[in-house]
Amino acid sequence: MIDMLEFWRQSLPQLLTGYRLSLLVTGASLFLGIPLGLLLALSLQTRSTWLKLPSLSVVEIGRGASILVLLQFVYFGMPSVGLTFSSFASVTIAFTWCTAAYTSEIIRAGLESVPQGQREAGEALGMTRLDILRIVILPQGLPVSVPALLGFSILMLQASSLAFVVALPELMSKAQLIGSNTFRYMPLFTLTAILYAAVCIPATIVVGFLERRLSRHF
Amino acid sequence: MPEDDALMHILPSQTSSGSQRVMVEVAGLCKDFGAHRVLDNIHLTVDPGEVIAIIGPSGSGKSTLLRCINLLERPSAGAIRVGDVEIDAFRKITRRELLAFRRPIGMVFQSFNLFPHLSVLRNVSIAQERVLKRSREEADAVSRQLLERVGLGSKADQYPARCSGGQQQRIAIARALALEPELMLFDEPTSALDPELGLEVLNVMQELATAGMTMIVVTHEMHFAESVSNRVIIMADGKIIEEGPSVQVMRSPHSERAKQFLGAVLNR
Amino acid sequence: MMATILSGVTWTIALSLTALAIGIILGGVLCAMRTSGVALLDFAATVLILAFRSVPPIVWLFLIYFGIGSGIVQVSPFQAAAIGLGLITGANMAEIFRGSLKAIHPGQGEAARALSMPPVWRMVDVIIPQLMRISLPSVVSYGIGLLKDTAIASTIGVPEIAFKASHVSQVTFRGLESFAFAGALYILLSVPIALASREIDQRLRARVAK
Repeated sequence: MIDMLEFWRQSLPQLLTGYRLSLLVTGASLFLGIPLGLLLALSLQTRSTWLKLPSLSVVEIGRGASILVLLQFVYFGMPSVGLTFSSFASVTIAFTWCTAAYTSEIIRAGLESVPQGQREAGEALGMTRLDILRIVILPQGLPVSVPALLGFSILMLQASSLAFVVALPELMSKAQLIGSNTFRYMPLFTLTAILYAAVCIPATIVVGFLERRLSRHF
Repeated sequence: MPEDDALMHILPSQTSSGSQRVMVEVAGLCKDFGAHRVLDNIHLTVDPGEVIAIIGPSGSGKSTLLRCINLLERPSAGAIRVGDVEIDAFRKITRRELLAFRRPIGMVFQSFNLFPHLSVLRNVSIAQERVLKRSREEADAVSRQLLERVGLGSKADQYPARCSGGQQQRIAIARALALEPELMLFDEPTSALDPELGLEVLNVMQELATAGMTMIVVTHEMHFAESVSNRVIIMADGKIIEEGPSVQVMRSPHSERAKQFLGAVLNR
Repeated sequence: MMATILSGVTWTIALSLTALAIGIILGGVLCAMRTSGVALLDFAATVLILAFRSVPPIVWLFLIYFGIGSGIVQVSPFQAAAIGLGLITGANMAEIFRGSLKAIHPGQGEAARALSMPPVWRMVDVIIPQLMRISLPSVVSYGIGLLKDTAIASTIGVPEIAFKASHVSQVTFRGLESFAFAGALYILLSVPIALASREIDQRLRARVAK
């Protein structure tokens, strides 16, 4: 037991350096992906086929293909058409794509939760479509999406553990590295699991709290 | 439809001059939802300052007619003129035309449709800023004045959810008035309210009528229809079945269908 | 190249179905604990659900395969992946079932009680059939997500689609085509499931509709 704690104490600093990168790459993907998701959600609501069709493909591929395969496609596949990305860039690209695809659905559901009468009131007041969107729809629809977006963010942090397949030195890679040197997989992956859970459990509780508060208001 | 074509030529009746001309002119208006005809060849003219009540059984198309008049529903056939702007169902309407068409029309909904995330004051001010390009100070001053007028000056900084239904509807009226409309459409403004709260709203509407506002009111309030409006229209099955001076229509309708409807609602 | 990657489909489907089966059984148990009214069981289930969901799938897989599997008992990659994904699925199923349970009108349980049906039959005859119908769409869409998540099992050597694609890519140096084909396969596999689910859901709905 004491032996294990000592092992944890020794490996923790390395794991934490990895964890910083995990959080960084997750944050970057969410930061880029969520606004893209909003754009996709909006362009899927338009009647223009020119906007709709490409958006739909981006969403369907992002949601349909496994995120691991998406990541490998970017990192191992793109170089054959002359596009070589670093592991960090590859992960960010693949995860941004995935984030945009999934969050577009979350945001669309939020926007659709705004009653039709709100749009009609804006129209009857002679507001332009952009004003109706900015002043009436988004301020009411986006807050509805927040719990689901946060829930998705938790899943993305977990998904960042897949980045070890492209050798990004994040938490999982570090754990594997230490593991292959020490062969003490059991205590090592237990500690790794605890580290992920230490962020994900409180976040999940917050999501539950937000969801309950939201359902009280509507 | 040859009949409709003939009407198209009659419509641009810009012969009469200035203040005398009709405010609203609806000609040959039809609305289909799929195979179902909700409005069937509606003709209607409204003079400036006139207050018109539209009554009739539910599903008769009265709300749809009102919503067609400010193009929340697109007509399937026919033409509508409000003020100087005319819209024809067979021509594609540009976004700019749509905005110009709606500009002189205010609308009040059955479910109020206030913006729940904005304060009462912002609810009344926001469209003034966006549509009339008033400054925030200017708009807020107008809003406070209007809220005073509907008896809600003290509610300006509250949120709509904190107001009763009757108060919300009066705020909605102030919001529509803030854009200085020439025509006000009311879509069952008191149907979602308890009788007592409905009365507050009806009083504001009566005051508005007295002040000379042109109004078209879809309503179930028979008393309002008889005593406040100048003219009553009874609709059934997408058609106007009776039309005329309020007291006459309410007391001695001609058609059997109208008698049957009024008998049912007045003897309740 | 395509043939090699296609040969992974069987493993992908087998793993998805096994993990889903484990998840449904585990989810049923966890849901029963959550709604048992016994504080201790409820708490234990809450903690387990939270724990299963808060650790990334790949960490579960590594923990089971390298951690447990290399020491106490021997576990094959497939077994490790099925158990790991099964645990997470179980936690999510418990939440899906609990949500569906809320959607069943409380009058249903009361009616069964008023008819003095014994508790077991109350569940089997009245609650569970309705629960299955209500939760079907969520279970299937989770299943489709799971299908894609099984790609993770490639990292511990289960020879499913992503594993084969990775292998082909290394041998032929044609990563673009391999992974594009693998991605397309996942999409292709999920389409018929989604369609079938919608069809079944509509039929079940039509049967109970007024």
